[in-house]
Amino acid sequence: MSAAAPDAGRVPGGSRTGEPQTLAAPAGLVSDVVAITGRAIRGILREPELFIFALIIPVFFFVVQIGALGDVAEQQLGIANYATFQLPISILFAAASTSGGNALVLDIAGGYWDKLSLTPAHRSSLVIGNLFGEMFAVLLYSLVLLLFGFVIGVRFAENTLVGSVGLLALTLLFGIGFAAVSIAIALATGSVRATQSAFIIFFPLLFLTPSALPRELMTGWFETAVSLNPMTYVVEAARSFLFGFDGAVIAKGFLAAALFSLLTFALTALAFRRRVHMG
Amino acid sequence: MSAIQATDLVRRFGEVEAVRGVSLEVAEGEIYGFLGPNGAGKSTIVRILTTLLQPTSGSGAVLGHDVTAEPTTVRRLIGVALQEAGLDPKQTGRELLTLQGKLYGLKGQVLGDQITEVTELVGLTDAIDRRIQTYSGGMKRRLDLASALLHRPRVLFLDEPTTGLDPLSRALIWDRIRELRERFGATIFLTTQYLEEADELADRVAIIDHGRIVRQGTPAALKAEIGADVIDLAVEERESGAARTAISELQANGDLPGGELRGTRDGYTLFVPDGPQNIAVLIRGLDKAGVRFGAVSVSRPTLDDVFLAATGGRMAAADQDGQGEDGQGRDQEPATTGRRAS
Repeated sequence: MSAAAPDAGRVPGGSRTGEPQTLAAPAGLVSDVVAITGRAIRGILREPELFIFALIIPVFFFVVQIGALGDVAEQQLGIANYATFQLPISILFAAASTSGGNALVLDIAGGYWDKLSLTPAHRSSLVIGNLFGEMFAVLLYSLVLLLFGFVIGVRFAENTLVGSVGLLALTLLFGIGFAAVSIAIALATGSVRATQSAFIIFFPLLFLTPSALPRELMTGWFETAVSLNPMTYVVEAARSFLFGFDGAVIAKGFLAAALFSLLTFALTALAFRRRVHMG
Repeated sequence: MSAIQATDLVRRFGEVEAVRGVSLEVAEGEIYGFLGPNGAGKSTIVRILTTLLQPTSGSGAVLGHDVTAEPTTVRRLIGVALQEAGLDPKQTGRELLTLQGKLYGLKGQVLGDQITEVTELVGLTDAIDRRIQTYSGGMKRRLDLASALLHRPRVLFLDEPTTGLDPLSRALIWDRIRELRERFGATIFLTTQYLEEADELADRVAIIDHGRIVRQGTPAALKAEIGADVIDLAVEERESGAARTAISELQANGDLPGGELRGTRDGYTLFVPDGPQNIAVLIRGLDKAGVRFGAVSVSRPTLDDVFLAATGGRMAAADQDGQGEDGQGRDQEPATTGRRAS
């Protein structure tokens, strides 16, 4: 029986002579990533309630910390503006809690991952598109918190535009590293609960930092732990954008965030290979 | 060239051997029914042939392209609707199809035309701009089918496309499957646990049980293999064995021709030539032996009988969630002339 489609002649791309064709043609990695990213962003925008939940805790901590320690910090510790001191923590907190693997693990559990895997798209685009979607979420959270900071009196010591762009860039680099952790867990386990628990690693990483006080004021084991934590340098670099640009501090912060993200990307790549091999 | 070829496929999951040396060949344009109960290995074979899963050993090819060595080429040639229609509930039907089309490299006018065509084909035109979370189970299946057809695949894998659907949705999917073959000449690999579905749609059927193909052929040839009519007999006090003894004696003394006798839940199934004549002999013999019996029916063999003869178990009994019983089994007519067209 002939398998010719009635108007297969309009199909782009070639096939072996005399064979009827399908309409499928190579789309390319960029096109695949754009398509998957678009879907990820659409998904984020369709769940504004998640957006609100992701912001409640950072805003709560921000406000409580300022209320509890603001006066002491400004009067006794010589921190010029404690709200400014705390804003980067709040932004990094929100960036770390995006839990980028949630959408992916729901796809895996619901069978949509299989459906997308059956297309000729580059499979890596399924992960990269989700990561880009998370970058979009991180950017949105950061902008909202930055705006909130401005409203309550946070100011950049030097150029506001440069400071804001620098802070957002660092936050994106850091946030994508955290998103990669939960994406790796999603790929490795396919478990919704395990993926949702990914944020737990955020606590030691972000609270064993100079989150409440400058490192100079710390002593003993806590100071040692804080100094060993690469996130410390991310926090200090983020503050440096607000309190005046210190090139060395900022460079260390970007380096720490980049190394962290490289490590988590490597974990994601391993989990991705495992998932693809497992089927 | 075959549309689909599998050679000695084996797939193990740890200690479990889900597929145990399956070989098959499907010609272009053929509808091939892959029939078996839950857990028989149907879906594992589909996942291997559609590049989602690598075989532990053996090989598979679609239109001459090896599924392990050339997965991307194979994915362009096939369309797949899996058993669990995995669809993103937050997207609209149109968004899902658009994304799917882009991943197949479709764009512009071709993509728009294809979305219109497949949406009409599956009867979802009115709902296509609604979010998928508002769709019924049947609508999701139809959307999944539409998305599998979007790029005009030459080989279509449908993994239990009607499981769990109401009769109306099932009939609609059947019509679409027939139409696909007629309009586009597509090769269709259809897995099902419904005997009636395989009988209605498939040019050839393979029966799979415990990871092995146990019978293969056209539905008519498979039924003819039985070479006999089928008498179903319900007996009271089955455990006494009186009915079995009486039937064996009837066979031994030549009143009933020799034929296979199998125990069923309510009694026995007897495979004999010329059922309508022999059912009278059977009833007289049982009566004479004092065996109390209930409904007796005679019918032409169905695929269920083929399955029974091949595996020793009924499809319906093997089907754990009980969905295999609605309409697939032989008509149980409590009469002596219940011959059914085959």
